[in-house]
Amino acid sequence: MTAIDKCDWCEEVLQPFLDRDLTDAEQKEAEGHLKDCEYCSTRYRFEEKLRRRVVLVMVEPMAPALKQRLSQLRLEL
Amino acid sequence: MSETSSDEARRLAEGARDRANFEEEALALADQVYRVARGVSRSKEEAEDLMQETYARAFRSWESFTPGTNLRAWLLRILTNLNIDRGRKAQRSPDLQPLEEGDYFLYNRIEATGETDEDRVLERLSQDHIAEALSAVPHDFRDVLVLVDIGDFSYADAAQILDIPIGTVMSRLHRGRRILKKELADMAVEAQ
Repeated sequence: MTAIDKCDWCEEVLQPFLDRDLTDAEQKEAEGHLKDCEYCSTRYRFEEKLRRRVVLVMVEPMAPALKQRLSQLRLEL
Repeated sequence: MSETSSDEARRLAEGARDRANFEEEALALADQVYRVARGVSRSKEEAEDLMQETYARAFRSWESFTPGTNLRAWLLRILTNLNIDRGRKAQRSPDLQPLEEGDYFLYNRIEATGETDEDRVLERLSQDHIAEALSAVPHDFRDVLVLVDIGDFSYADAAQILDIPIGTVMSRLHRGRRILKKELADMAVEAQ
């Protein structure tokens, strides 16, 4: 496998790597490549930051008025 | 009071108590349900409408919930089904659905513009940008993406909510994330 092929493989396993979904052998292989390859390790770090950014901006508390409206939807006893 | 009518009264009282308990438990989960509603909606207003429709339906059909099973998953199944009905009307036609790129695509696009500060690029991605990009992800993929990455549900929970196999959750999640990054690429570059 050439160095470029290895980066292609590393791109393919980025998601299962971050999701901890690789086999132990694959995980080790990816870690070994990331240690030596700045091209891939930069992109892996970026992916982690992007995931955090998505959660940070999309997760917000519900408006209190909405909470109240939901409560009012309860059926009359 | 005859025995029959007192049995009847007890049954009614128990039913009312069960229903009140159900409603309390459902309302206690509203923050978690809202995370998903916001993720699958283009705007806050749309998310709030979806929440109200979900809870109205849940309260009406509370008797179809089996006590002891996963109420959070039950509520989210109602929400995702309601949203599919809406999405079918608004979804792009299949030939216009975005093509998928690799996982490095977004970073490569940013790098190609000469931008070296990736944190700054990410900080410029606002809620509007991300909600807009999510809305361009076909809903089958988006539902899984929102449940797992924003709602913090496990693959197994997402599979139960959407009534699909775990393997399908994983493949949709992977494709959905790639489509999201492709959609975000133009915004990340334009926002510079």
